[in-house]
This record gives sequence, structure tokens and C-alpha cells, in this order.
Amino acid sequence: MVIREIELLFYFRLLIQTNQHMKKIITFITAAFLLLSNAFAGNNTDEKILPYPIHQKKLANGANVVTVPYDSPGLAAFYIVIRAGSRDEIEPGHTGFAHFFEHMMFRGTEKYSKEKYSEVLKSTGASANANTSEDRTLYHMTGSADKLETMFEVESDRFQNLKYSQQDFKTEAGAVKGEYTKNSASPYNQLDEKISETAFKTHTYAHTTMGYFKDIVDMPNQYDYSIEFFKRFYRPEYATIIVVGDVTPERVEALSEKYFGKWQHGNYVSSIPQEPAQTETRYTHIQKSGFPPYLSLNYKGPAFDDKAMDMPALDVLSSILFSEKSELYKKLVLDEQKVRFIQGGAYDTRDPNLFSIGSSLVKAEDMQYVKDEITKTLEAAKTKKPDAQVLADTKSHLKYSFAMNIDNPTSIAESLSHYTWLTGDPESLNRLYALYDKVTVDDLVRVANKYFVGTALTVATISPATEVGVK
Amino acid sequence: MKSKIISALIILFATLTANAQDVIELKMPKSNKIVIKLMFRNGSICDPKGKEGLTELTTSLITEGGTKELTHSQITDKIYPWSASYSASADKEVSIFTFEVPKVFLSQFYPIIKGLMLTPSFTQDDFDRVKSNQQNYVDQVIRASSDEEYSKKALEDFLFRGTNYQHLVSGTSQGLKTITLEDVKSHYKNFFSRSNITIGIAGDYTPDFLAKMKSDMNALSPVVPVIPAPAKAKMPDGINVEIVSKDNALGSAIFAGFPIDITRAKDDFAALMVANSWMGEHRKSYSRLYQKIREARSMNYGDYTYIEWYENGGGNMLPAPGVPRSSNYFSIWIRPVQTAKGLKGQYPELSDISIGHAHYAFRMVLREMDNLIQKGMTPESFELTRDFLRSYMKLYIQSPERQLGFLMDSHFYGRKDYIMEMDKLLAKLTVADVNTAIKKYWQTKNMDILIITDKTEAEPLAKSLRENAPSPMSYSNTLKSALSNDILEEDKVVEKYPMPVKSVKVVSSDETFRSTEATKDSKGVLKMEK
Repeated sequence: MVIREIELLFYFRLLIQTNQHMKKIITFITAAFLLLSNAFAGNNTDEKILPYPIHQKKLANGANVVTVPYDSPGLAAFYIVIRAGSRDEIEPGHTGFAHFFEHMMFRGTEKYSKEKYSEVLKSTGASANANTSEDRTLYHMTGSADKLETMFEVESDRFQNLKYSQQDFKTEAGAVKGEYTKNSASPYNQLDEKISETAFKTHTYAHTTMGYFKDIVDMPNQYDYSIEFFKRFYRPEYATIIVVGDVTPERVEALSEKYFGKWQHGNYVSSIPQEPAQTETRYTHIQKSGFPPYLSLNYKGPAFDDKAMDMPALDVLSSILFSEKSELYKKLVLDEQKVRFIQGGAYDTRDPNLFSIGSSLVKAEDMQYVKDEITKTLEAAKTKKPDAQVLADTKSHLKYSFAMNIDNPTSIAESLSHYTWLTGDPESLNRLYALYDKVTVDDLVRVANKYFVGTALTVATISPATEVGVK
Repeated sequence: MKSKIISALIILFATLTANAQDVIELKMPKSNKIVIKLMFRNGSICDPKGKEGLTELTTSLITEGGTKELTHSQITDKIYPWSASYSASADKEVSIFTFEVPKVFLSQFYPIIKGLMLTPSFTQDDFDRVKSNQQNYVDQVIRASSDEEYSKKALEDFLFRGTNYQHLVSGTSQGLKTITLEDVKSHYKNFFSRSNITIGIAGDYTPDFLAKMKSDMNALSPVVPVIPAPAKAKMPDGINVEIVSKDNALGSAIFAGFPIDITRAKDDFAALMVANSWMGEHRKSYSRLYQKIREARSMNYGDYTYIEWYENGGGNMLPAPGVPRSSNYFSIWIRPVQTAKGLKGQYPELSDISIGHAHYAFRMVLREMDNLIQKGMTPESFELTRDFLRSYMKLYIQSPERQLGFLMDSHFYGRKDYIMEMDKLLAKLTVADVNTAIKKYWQTKNMDILIITDKTEAEPLAKSLRENAPSPMSYSNTLKSALSNDILEEDKVVEKYPMPVKSVKVVSSDETFRSTEATKDSKGVLKMEK
């Protein structure tokens, strides 16, 4: 499965399936459904946002082991993060390969054939799957804590000893094509592909995690490359094992040592081509009638960073400018009813990515008006400092959103995985929320000036018109 | 008519018991948040004829509008720092309002809950906005976003044609156009009443708080609503296919089904659950159809079966609460398979094929179903699947919101705790019970099949289906060279497997979900009242 960012709940009924850009956008505004009130009930900013200690132990081979005991009697979430994704697809003709490889991981080993693996997995009674995005591939299962050792055994076996035939390899490629086929019905997915390749010219973020259809059709012929891919990335230095729930660090660390301790360290490091600064506004468009007109403005943003102020400030600012509480939302959606929804936010990725604003319009002829209104809002943010109370309310919103969501082992493990693939350290979660507390109105003005620049913008539209039609 | 009297009696009985108020409590002393769910027994089956979509529009206007004291915008401002949230969902037989708030803000949030439920503002401006979004969904979004979701909803329209279960919960294109603000106000008064509410609450709340909420909810409308009896689908006569033709579909999305006279209310459900899990557990690689169609042949992304409605299968990995139904059907989901146009473009060696993989895929489904019905599950498969379910079902209720939701659904089915009761039933189940249930509830002779596909595929596929023509698999040379002899030999059987189709109709995408009138006949209407 391909996803970008935290898997999100539906936005309201306007979309059956949000595209990947929208997912991120929505992530920030509505899906920050994530935390626990006692962490900051007393406004004590020294306390961590996650009210449970994160136990970490690095194995000698470089694999990191993360345990968070949590009161979920009999249940445990077991996650393995591999810090490689479509960002690492640097050779031409191999777009979509990280995701394809995620599929191959279910094709068996000498000890556990794919049939046997399925049977053992079924016997654990777990909810298990995997997904891939730009920077990482994530394997997860949530099930009975008393089946933890079985989970460790089968996972360690396939991560170290994966072995599939040429036949299995060729066969699995069709399932990936099937995934592309099902996704392709959504114009948002089609636009996502265009935005990526328009906004990026040299960095691998120029292609989506799903990859190009022509590369997917050619996948059955790439067996040798797949062996190389496994050797490069399925190594302990790329891996973090995360267990949350009815467990102790001692037990998780002992199981990790027992099952992953002999995993051989590798030596591959991807050399990702860096994106040169964008110097002109770019445009891309999909002509589509019978579908709500859509406008997407994509500015080049920063990479995720848990020490610098840019990303936290942009997160706070996007909530102030584009959430349902924002002036712009109220004007365009509630008062004028020209827009069905509007969302905005920055991507969390390892390298600089996009700050995207997406808006579904009632009428295509309002496209220029809506773009102008969004631009006016962004320009105003460069000089006008938000009210101190608005800033305080937004910080409160972010924290309580987090608190509300971490009420089960799976969502805590999801959250830890997110920050692990971004920086390699799950504590980044706590650091990011500590930074939110420190964001000032001056930071908001500074990042608005730094990032909302016309020459760094990619405009993308869906409408019945033959071309973009906005300036 | 008889059923109307019976249902009126049921409602009367429900009203008498509801005077004591239906309350589902889930005490969670360690929880830092409160979840409140208000469930009304009034889904889209209560939509008046010609105003399909009214129930959902009413629920949406309550949550997307304001109260007597506060506009929608003022509510947003007020709850923003607390990150409180609320939403409404309507289904065929229930409407549910869900509120979540950090415990520390409950007392400040509660007046808003009360205001939304008891004194919704129902302004013309909010109405116009919310209705426009709903109309947009029915007119455009459902047709042009996910062919899988589209095929699922279109199958329901096909299976329940002419009944109150036919139309989308969101309504029909024509029906929505006629709905006025006055309709919403009167629907609210007539159907969102104190006699058909169930109150659910989870978290660390006080008895005083609950007592106040119960007392306040007694101020809902006193009307005793006349809830129509939920329609049963008529068992299709033979295999009937409807193909929806659209521009530029990359694949053929398939949903098929037939009615089954069983719900969670019956103990047999546990047995059928085991059979279904083995045949097609949602998003699981170890089920039979997945292994045959996706894993062995690489035809698509997945293949699953269902013995009840499964909300948002494209997004949810685990079943969601909040969609209990008393009218049930078995369904088969074949995720999009390749079309002839697509395959020809990908592989020169397939330039002479006339249809893609849909016909073959469905023959495989029929064969696997027939095999299971005839031979039954083996004791080993039964044990493994039963044990899997006993563990897996506990994952349905990981969060307080889900736990409360499943408890409220249990109540709908006349159970106290569905998850725990099924566990007990599963524990004492035998393979013979499962095989008996398979024979009792499953068959392959009568079903409706809905296929969304490209306009170039529609007619050739219809012809192939009508003629029961052999449908050999068309593999690329690369893939064919990789497949084992066993698979290729099995293909020879499957490609000719009998699939006697009684009728095939090709319709344009524009014709779907327009109204229920166009497809209603007197037979269907009569059936609704049986």
C-alpha cells in the first residue's frame, strides 16, 4: 500500500478518497487528532507531549529498538520502520520500486514459504500490513501481546532471509499494477503525479511513491535490481523496531537481540540529487469535466527538522491561515460559499518538500478569484502579526489534538514511527511539540516571508478547461 | 400494510421502554477524554419518496450549522483551543452524532452539544452550503473518485431496486434538488425525537453529568416517528449483470451479491463469519479468493467477501461501528482488474484480445464458492480461521470511541456485547456448524453483479457474459513464462466454468443515482410493504 504521511481519516463527504497531497494537508489541520491532557494540564512546558517514557536501545549492528509500555491489557503493536522509500529510487526506470519491494517482502523465505508465512501470521490473529511513502517503508502488526515472540521470529526471518523466485517476482508485479489501476480513478491521484514532476526537476520527490505506470509495467523484468535493493536497504542501520502496549522494555529488547542481533550491517548510503532553487512560477493542469474544480498552490518548503523553528512555525501558521477557524475559510467557505473546502500545510519529509494549499471550488470560473484571495492571505501574513490569543489557542489546539488521538497502542506506534523515519529518533515527537510552545508571532512573519514566494510556487488545477486559466 | 402495523407496534413498544431512556455506558476511569454518541433509529429508509437524502442532510445541517446561541463559526472558534470535535453519520437505519472532548473541557463543551441537538439554528445560508456539498457528492464525486466505492454503491442500488434501501444514503440527484429548509425542519421534528434516541457515553464522566444529559435529551421532540420497515432485497432470479460504462476507466471494478437472511442478531452469524473469513477476509492475504486471484495470478490488488455492510472498505482495515442494518446481503468485492484496452497498450503480444480479465475473475469466484459449498471447510482450516477471528475481533475495539460504537451496535441487534458474545459462540463452534451454515446461506445461482468499466470494454464484456463464452486468461509473455503448470491447467478449467447469466444491461455512468423513480416498478413498491 502506498501512502504519504500519516494515514488519514476521511475528510468530510466531498472526497471519497483524498489524494496524497490532500492527506498531508488534512493531516495537519484535522488529523492532528493526536495526546494526553495530563501532559500539559498544568501548562508545564517541561513535560513531554507523550506522557509515556520512550525506552530506546541500539543493538550492536545498528538496529534501534523502541519500547513504550502502555495500558492495553493483552495487546501490543509491533512496527518495523525501514528508512528507505521512493526518495531512494535514484536510478532511472525504477520509480515505484520501494513500494514494489514492500510487496515482495510477503513472498517468503526458505524457512517460511509465503503460504507458511501467511498461516503463521493468521495464527497470531493480528492486524498486519505494510505501506510505503517517500522516505520510509513501514511494516506493522497489532495483536496479542502473548504472540509477540512469534511476531519477532517471522519478521526477523523475512527481514534477514527473504528469498523469492523469479516466478514470484514476476507475479507480484501485477498486484502493484492492480493498485495503480484502482488508484488511477481519482483525479487527485493523477494531479499528485503532475505536481510532483512539475515542482521537482532533479530530486527524487519528482515522482510519486506509486511510480510511473510505464515503470510499473516493466517491473517483472527487474529481478536483479530487486536483489540489489534488498541488499542495500534491508539492513539494521536502516531499521527501527517499535513495540507499544502490554510489554516491558526488557522483554522487547531481549527478543530484539535474540532475533535481530545477528542481522548483518550494510554499507550503502543513497546519494539523493538535491533540488536547485526554483526561480519561476510553474503550472500544471488536468482537464476534467464532471468533477469538482480544484486549485492547488504548492510552495517549496523546508525539510522536517526538530531543532529549527521553520517547520513548527509553518505548522502553526497553516492552522491559523487555513483551518476552519481561519478568516479565509470563513470568508470563502461559509460566507461567500465559493469554495467547498480549503486546507493548507507543509509536508513532513527528510528533504525539503512542499507547502500545499488545496481548495475545491463550487464553480470553475472562480478559480482566479480564489487564487487571489489565498495569495492576499499569504501576503498579509508577511507583515501582519497574528493576535497573541490566536497563537495561544492554536498551540493549545495542536496539543489537545495529539492527546485525543493516543488512546490505543496502534496510534501511539504510528506516531512514533512517523518521527522515527523523519529523524531516526522517536524523541523528535517530544522535541517538535516542545518547539510549538516556543513559536512566536515573529517566527510566523519570518517563515511567511521566507517560503511564500511566487518564484517557488507550482500552481496545479483540475477543471473542464483545456488549460490552467489562472495567473 | 401488515408490516406497517407491526412496525408501529414495535415503535410503540420501543417508546414505552425508552421512557426509561436507552443508555449505553462505558466507564473508563483512566481515560482523559469523553466520547458521547447519540444514535437515532432513523436512517435513509425514512427519507420521504422524492426527497431521498433528507435524513443525511438533516444530520449534516445539525453538525455543520449553529445553535440558538452560537453560529457555526462561533462554535468553531470556541472549541478550537480544546480540540473538541463532533460529526454526524447517517446510514440506512440509524443516524449517529459523535462528540469527543478532553475531559477537562466537558462542562464547557456540553452546552454546545445540547444546543446542537435541541435548538439547531437551521439557517438558510447553512442549508444552502450543506445541501450543495451533498448534491456535489451525488452528482460528481461518487462517480469520479473511486470506481470501487462507486461499484459498491451501485450494486446496492441494483440489489434493492424499488425499495427504501435502494438509494444512496446521500440521496439521489433528483431527490436532493427538491429538498427545502422546511423539509429539514420537519424531518428533524418528526424523526429526531426523544422516543428513538439511544445515548452512549464513554470515559471518566460523573453520574450527575449523565443524569443532566438524559434529562436534557427528554426535551427532544415528543413525536413518535413512524419508521418504515427496512426493505429486504428480493433474491435475484439467476445471475444478472449491470455494467456501468464510463470514459477512461483503467480497470473493471466489480461488486456482486445476494440477500442473506441473517445478521449479528443470530447465533449462526459466528459460523458464517468463519466461512467468510476463510473465503475472503477483508484486506487479508490468507483468504482463498485473494490467493487465487491476486497472489497466484497477479490480476488485481485484492479480492474479498462480506456477510454484512462494511463501511469504507477502501480506507478501513478493520470494520467501523455505526452502520448496523437489519436487511443484509452477502457480497463479493473484486478490486479493479485489467481491461482489454489496457492490456493491449501494455503488451504487444495481447493485441488481439477482445475482453480483459473481469469475466475470468468472476468465474474463479463462482468456482471457489461452489467448491466450498460442496466440500465444506476442512477441520484444520476451520481451527485456524476460528482462532484467528477470536483474536482479531478484539482489535475492532481498540479505542474508547470504537468500543462504545460496537456496544451501541450490539444493542441494535438485541445483543449486549457483540464482540464478547461472538467470542463465546466462536469458542463452541464446530466445523460441522460452519459447513451447515455455508449450505444454508450461500449459493451461486442467483446474484446481482455490478461492473464499472471503460466504455471500450462494456459491450464486448456484455457479449461474452451473455453468451457464456469461454474467457481464457490473457497473460503477458513474461508473466506466463513465470506461472506454474498447475496454474495454467487450472485456468483451462476456470475459463470454461459455467456462468449462466440471465441478463446483462449496459448503462452509462450518467444514468446512475439520478432518482429511484426511474427504476421503480409496482412490484418493487409492493415488496417494500410486505
